[in-house]
Amino acid sequence: MADTVADVHQHETHGHDDHHHDQGWVSKYLLSTDHKIIGMQYMFTGMFMAVIGGYMAYVFRMQLAFPGISVPGFGQVSPGEYNALITNHGSIMIFWVAMPVLIAAFGNFLIPLMIGADDMVFPRINRLSFQVFFLSSVVLLLSLFVEGGGFGGAWTSYPPLSANGDYNQTALGATLWLTAVGLEFVAFLLGGINFITTLMNSRAPGMRAYDIPLVCWMIVIASILFMLSVGPLLAGAVMLLFDQTLNTGFYDPARGGDPILWQHLFWFFGHPEVYVVLLPAIGITVDVMATFARKKIFGYKMVLYTAVATGVLSFFVWAHHQFIAGIDPRMANVFTITTLLISVPIAEMLFVMIATLYGGSIQLTTPMLWALSFMAEFLIGGVTGIFLGASGADIYFHDTYFVLAHFHYTFFPIAIIGTFCAFTYWFPKMFGRMMNDTLGKIHFWGTIIPFNFIFIPLFVLGMGGQHRRIYNFQHFPEIAGPEYFQLRQLATISLLIMLAFQLVFFYNVIVSWMRGEKAGKNPWKANTLEWSTESPPPHGNWPVDELPTVYRGPYEYGHPDREEDYWPQHLPG
Amino acid sequence: MSENNEHHDEHGHDAGHHVNYFKIYVILLILFLISVVGPEVGEATGLRWITLITAFGIAVVKARLVVNNFMHLAWEKRIMKWVLATSLVLMLIMVSGISPDVMNHEGQRWENIAAKAEVERGLAYAAGYAEEESEAEPEVMVAAAFSAESSFGQICATCHGVGGAGDGAAGAALNPPPANFTDPAFWADPARDRDRVITVIRDGAAAVGGSALMAPWGALYTEEQLEQVADYVMSFRPDAD
Amino acid sequence: MAHARPIATTRSATGIPTPRLAVWWILASEVVIFGGLLGVYLMHRIGHPEWAEAASHTQTWIGAINTFVLLTSSFTCVLAHQAAEKGNGKEAAKLLGFTILGALMFLMIKSYEWTTEILAGYTITSNTFWSFYYTAAGLHALHVIAGAIIMGFVAVDAFRGRELHRVEIIGIYWHFVDVVWIFLFPLLYIAK
Repeated sequence: MADTVADVHQHETHGHDDHHHDQGWVSKYLLSTDHKIIGMQYMFTGMFMAVIGGYMAYVFRMQLAFPGISVPGFGQVSPGEYNALITNHGSIMIFWVAMPVLIAAFGNFLIPLMIGADDMVFPRINRLSFQVFFLSSVVLLLSLFVEGGGFGGAWTSYPPLSANGDYNQTALGATLWLTAVGLEFVAFLLGGINFITTLMNSRAPGMRAYDIPLVCWMIVIASILFMLSVGPLLAGAVMLLFDQTLNTGFYDPARGGDPILWQHLFWFFGHPEVYVVLLPAIGITVDVMATFARKKIFGYKMVLYTAVATGVLSFFVWAHHQFIAGIDPRMANVFTITTLLISVPIAEMLFVMIATLYGGSIQLTTPMLWALSFMAEFLIGGVTGIFLGASGADIYFHDTYFVLAHFHYTFFPIAIIGTFCAFTYWFPKMFGRMMNDTLGKIHFWGTIIPFNFIFIPLFVLGMGGQHRRIYNFQHFPEIAGPEYFQLRQLATISLLIMLAFQLVFFYNVIVSWMRGEKAGKNPWKANTLEWSTESPPPHGNWPVDELPTVYRGPYEYGHPDREEDYWPQHLPG
Repeated sequence: MSENNEHHDEHGHDAGHHVNYFKIYVILLILFLISVVGPEVGEATGLRWITLITAFGIAVVKARLVVNNFMHLAWEKRIMKWVLATSLVLMLIMVSGISPDVMNHEGQRWENIAAKAEVERGLAYAAGYAEEESEAEPEVMVAAAFSAESSFGQICATCHGVGGAGDGAAGAALNPPPANFTDPAFWADPARDRDRVITVIRDGAAAVGGSALMAPWGALYTEEQLEQVADYVMSFRPDAD
Repeated sequence: MAHARPIATTRSATGIPTPRLAVWWILASEVVIFGGLLGVYLMHRIGHPEWAEAASHTQTWIGAINTFVLLTSSFTCVLAHQAAEKGNGKEAAKLLGFTILGALMFLMIKSYEWTTEILAGYTITSNTFWSFYYTAAGLHALHVIAGAIIMGFVAVDAFRGRELHRVEIIGIYWHFVDVVWIFLFPLLYIAK
């Protein structure tokens, strides 16, 4: 039944190596339809944007710790510039770093390899999705340099501030920002179609649903979540664009609109969005843990079903971002209950991780260190979310630095730790070389320790009543005292240290790529299909007549019938 | 070509399942006619449910026919039906979560003044339009109907309290405290008449030798509106009639 | 044909051919986009009874003609699919041509309709009802244009007897565009 359409198309398919060896550099790298190249394109664009987002954080943290200072590499920060910096830092990190790297880069690179396919099912749409994404990045960066400067209305872009150029003072920047976000959405809708369809249809013979590595499942579930939640916001963004440019009144109550509507539309997407980025990070962590604990995942189906449950529940919690916006209090009750409920499946996944590690033969390689730290740091983030999910406590905490510290304790593990975990783990496969493990560990500790010293002070400041999106706390006598400023300075200096240690990472990448030890096919002795081919994999991933067949699940480590402690999926019997 | 056989299998178009597309099309046209005529009947008789059923009910039926028969969803694998159903259910959830906020213009302790004003304005415009004969005039932006009570609530009550008793939250720490309009002692001073109240609102208390904590608000109001607000303030007088 | 089709595209673990699987997922995302927009419109419309006056100026008979045009184009589209199933590329291309003609008629009628309305002063900013009207119908019209263009490419290929399976795919998308209009018509024209 599987290949009914195959017969018709047989005459059109042939080995990928045939007509590509004479491609110029432009066709081969810039305009490639190969999923691995497109994955790399997303990766490098995302990492470049991360540098920009990190630079923005550096600038505004310097302003907060030393108000009025002329920040080296930027100059004095005006209030308008401060607003633009925080707005674009948030937008960039979520839409142009976390999503492209975790979903598009790793999804593109890994999914066909891990399911034993030679490419995504629609390579040209894949290429188109990157081109649209690249365009969105260009538009966003452009928005920073137009008259008035970058949009300064927060990444949540609430009207009427975001709808009215007289209020936000950055009319052109606002329109460009909104356009960039809309294009990014379109790019990920296009990409999502590829991931979902490829996973559903193009698996290797013998690969049943429960033989798919969890990271692939997670990326696809995330794509589905994204696709189903972004629609209303896309419609709402068009409405906001018209309010900005055509002077319609969609969000103006005096003209029959409602600004609360935007909040609802935004958060109806915004909340599932955090699970869109969380699930791939969990998938990465769990796969890495299985490999370096040399042990099966404690509950594969549990993790899969709770991921689906989390996805479903995530559509019912959105208004916890709006508890004090004046929503109907009865709805606030409902959303408090659902928000507290959603912590259960996530906690369950963390328990599965712990149970997987228990009794395993732990190998503390760099990727494993990142995976372990994900658990610890995300735990702190998740637990502090419970305070915020209780509407009563949220009345105090909303819009304080407590919220900010909470979401950095969740987003940082997702976007940064998750990325480094995946990158250090799959670098050998992507580039054919091993990364230097010592430098990797130095980078790891140099990132994790300062990270905690940045954000724990922010919890304290938040509990002390410090509000978000204020550019100078000297204006608030109650929180302008020396103890408060010392905490801010501690956070900022820790950020400087953390940023400095990222240089170790970049150095490691370049040196390893040029001179690292050759990796071979399977340096980690792992089971999944990507480790059964060359490093880096050739165009077409495997020779055309050697596409793998699958005989077992992806986590058969320490199987009693085997002499080695791992049993790759593609080996018969 | 082998293609058609495979496609036949996938669509279930083998013996017995052949869809007559023309028949479906004719049914669609008939439903369409009903959906156009029905609302006319509903309008004429004033029975709204006729309009609802013929316009929207039939839309649902037509959509089902197109989706099932033209798009062949009826013969598609079940998973896709689930996916599409999920999209629809999500939209229902979204609307139920948002509607309490967007569709209501007031609650127990709040009032969306701007929205309500817009509704009133629109209805008045429609009523006025119905009386006037002629050309369709596009609705122009009219200033919102002014309400002294609402304005007091928005601007003055934070210090003076909703009941004018000087007990607003923002005024608690002020020295001197905000005026208590319900206190007879306040009005004992004969200089405090309507004109004086207007002056203080417009130019601030400092203009009459009082505390600068009572700021001038003249920029917000027209003369006529000032008088209305002053009247409202004076309505708190214990002996006001 | 510039690129080889990957073997991945030819596999079908679900039993649904990959292109059809993809277009269903595309429709799922379009349902939430249009559903979001129309749900929002519906909530506002119910909360603002005074929009009835503005809505009374929509031209129902033009909307009705357009509904008839789209329904008929759906019919010719599914007939094209039937022809493609039988391997008759030229017939399929002809019927797709009729469908595209229907799309063009729809767009021309809509242009006429909007011109008369704008000249009468009912612009996108005159009232929030009209803002929704133009946005919703405009988004729909964009999808009509995009669908017609893609359909043109498919028709050209079909005429040459190639890629006949794509007739069904663009057909599914086209029927969806029709279904959206089936709901737009009562929402924008009848709900007065």
